[in-house]
Amino acid sequence: MSTRDNWRNLGFLAGWVVLLLFVPPTFSIYIRSFFMFLMMYVILSLSWNIISGYTGYISFGHVVFYGIGTYATAILVVDYGWHWIMAVAASGLVGAIFAILIGYPVLRLKGPYFAIAMLGAAEGTRVIAINWVSLTHGADGIAYPNIENSFETYIAMLVLMVIAVIVAYWVGHSRFGIRLNAIREDEIAAESLGVNTTFYKMAALVLSAIFPAMAGGIQGYKTLYIEPESEFFILITIYMKLFAMFGGKGTVIGPVLGAFILYSVQEYTWIRFPTAHLITFGIFIILVARFMPRGLIGFAVDRGWARKGMVH
Amino acid sequence: MLAGFLVIAYSLPFAIGIYTENVFFDRQWLADLATVVLNGVMQGGVYAMFAVGLTMIFGVMRIINVAHGEMVMLGAYLSWMSFFWLGFDPLLAMVFTLPIAFGLGWMIQKFLLNAVVGGPELTPLLMTFGLGLAMIYAVEAVFTTDFKSIPYAPDSFQLTETIVVGKSRLISFVMALVISVGVFMFLKKHRIGKAIRATSQNADVAMVCGINIYGIYMVTSGISAALAVAGGVLVSIQFGFNPETGIIYTLQAFAIIVLGGRGHYIGAMIGGVMLAVMESLISFMLPNGTALVEIAAYGLMIFVLLIRPRGLMGPKTD
Repeated sequence: MSTRDNWRNLGFLAGWVVLLLFVPPTFSIYIRSFFMFLMMYVILSLSWNIISGYTGYISFGHVVFYGIGTYATAILVVDYGWHWIMAVAASGLVGAIFAILIGYPVLRLKGPYFAIAMLGAAEGTRVIAINWVSLTHGADGIAYPNIENSFETYIAMLVLMVIAVIVAYWVGHSRFGIRLNAIREDEIAAESLGVNTTFYKMAALVLSAIFPAMAGGIQGYKTLYIEPESEFFILITIYMKLFAMFGGKGTVIGPVLGAFILYSVQEYTWIRFPTAHLITFGIFIILVARFMPRGLIGFAVDRGWARKGMVH
Repeated sequence: MLAGFLVIAYSLPFAIGIYTENVFFDRQWLADLATVVLNGVMQGGVYAMFAVGLTMIFGVMRIINVAHGEMVMLGAYLSWMSFFWLGFDPLLAMVFTLPIAFGLGWMIQKFLLNAVVGGPELTPLLMTFGLGLAMIYAVEAVFTTDFKSIPYAPDSFQLTETIVVGKSRLISFVMALVISVGVFMFLKKHRIGKAIRATSQNADVAMVCGINIYGIYMVTSGISAALAVAGGVLVSIQFGFNPETGIIYTLQAFAIIVLGGRGHYIGAMIGGVMLAVMESLISFMLPNGTALVEIAAYGLMIFVLLIRPRGLMGPKTD
C-alpha cells in the first residue's frame, strides 16, 4: 500500500463525505434519519470488525458497548445536565473503561467460548440495566427533553463515521493491524514471536468499544427516548455481525459496503414485510456463513474481480 | 478454587438476604427455604435434560448449537398447539412431538451442519445463530410476542404442613428423570448409542471401524432436538413463554454444560441441578429477586470459564 493509494482512498472518503453533506438540506427528515442510522451501522460494523474481523475473536454481544454508551449519554444529559456533545465524548470513555473491565476476564477465552461469554455479558448487562433503577430509571427508560435535533445528530454521526473509517483504515494498514491478524491466525505463534497478545487483544477490544458507545450516545439523543430492551437488543449485534460478514470481515471497505447494502435492503423489507424480514435475515446469516465466509470482498477477490490490495 | 468460588456463589444470596433483612431463621422461613431448594432441584432436572442435548452435540461434533434454546421454545409451542388446537394432554402429546423434533434435528443436521462439521468452529456457531433467529421470528409471525401458558395441574402436593410442591413441577421432574435415564440407557446399551459414544471419542477411528459417522451425527442431532423439545414441553406446563424466551434457555444450557464439563452427561445433570438451586435461592432471598435470576446463569458461566474451564467433570484437554 503506497502513499498514492492512501491519498486515493482519502479522496474517495472525502467524496463520500461531500455527498453525505448534501443529504440534510436536500431530503426530508425521514431520509436524513435513514442516512444517520446507515452511518451508525457503518460505525458499528467497522468496530465489530476490529475485534472480530482482524483479531478473530467473534463477539456475540457487542451491543453491550452500544447500550452502555446510550445510557452514559442519557444519564449525563438528563440527570446531570451536561451538554450532549460532552456527554457523547464521555460515553466513549465509559465504553472504553467498560471494555477493559469486561475484556479482562472474557478475552482469556477463545473461539466459541468468547462468543458465548460476550453474549452472556450483554444479556447480563441488560438485566442489570433493568434492575438498577436508581441509576438507569429501570424499565421505564429515560426520556430526553423533546427537541428536533436531526441536523446536529446527523453531522455528529457523520464526523464520528469519518473518524471510525480513518481509525479502521489505520488498523488495517499498520503494524498494529498486522499484529492483530497474527493473533487471529495463530495466537501462540504470535506470542512466541514477541507480540504481546494480551495487550493487543485488549487494545482491539477497547478500540472496538469506543465507537459503538459514542454512536449509541448520539442515537439515543436523536431518538429522545431509551429503555433497556431496545438499547441492549440482540438484533443490533446481529446487524453488526451480519453487515461486516456480508461485506467481508477483516477488511475496511467490507463492513462499509455490507452496511450500505444490507441496511438499505432491511429498511425496504422492514416497511413491506415487518416480520418476514427477520426470518429472511436469519436464513441469510446461514447462507453467508456457509457459502461466503469471506464476504463480498473475499468472493470478488477469489474470482479475480478485484485486486487484492485494492479492496482493503 | 472452583469449590471456593461455588461456596461464595451460594452464600452470596444468603449474605444479601441477611443484609436486606429477607432472612429470618424461624421455622416458617426454614420450611420456605426447604420448599425453594426442593423446587430448585426439580427445576434442575428439566434444565439438565435439555442441557444434555446440548452437551451431546458438543461432545460428538464439537459444535455449539446456539439454536438449542429456540428448540426448547419451539417445544413449548408444540405443546401449546397440541393442548389448545388438538386437545391432547401435553405429556401424552410427546408421543408425536418428540418424533417431530427428532425429524427436525435430523434435517437440520443433514442439510445444514453436516457440511461444516470439523471445519472452522465459528461457522456452525454463526449458522445455528441464524437458524435460531429464523425460528424465533417464524414462531413470532404465527403466535405474536404475547406470553402464552398452559393451565396444567395448577394445584400442589402438601408434603408436610409447611412444605409444598407444585404438581406440574413434580410431574415435570419425574418425566425429565425418566427421559434422561432412557437416553443414558440408550447410549450405554444400544448399538447406535455405543456408536455415538465411539464417534464422540474419536470420529476418525470410528469411521475406520465401519461406523457411518454422518449418520451418527444426524441421529445425535435428532436426539438433541428431541431432548430440547421435551424440555420445552415440561417448561410449558410450568411457566409462561414467548418466542424470545429461547435465548435464556440457550444461555442456561450453556452455563450448565460449562459448569458440568463439556461433553460430560453426568456433569450436565449435576450442573443443571446446581444452576436451578442457585436461581431459586436468588429469587427467594434477594429483593426483586425474580427479575435477577438470569444473572445466575451468566455469572456462573463466566466465572467457571475463568477459574476452571473444564468444569466440574470435564476432560483435562479439549
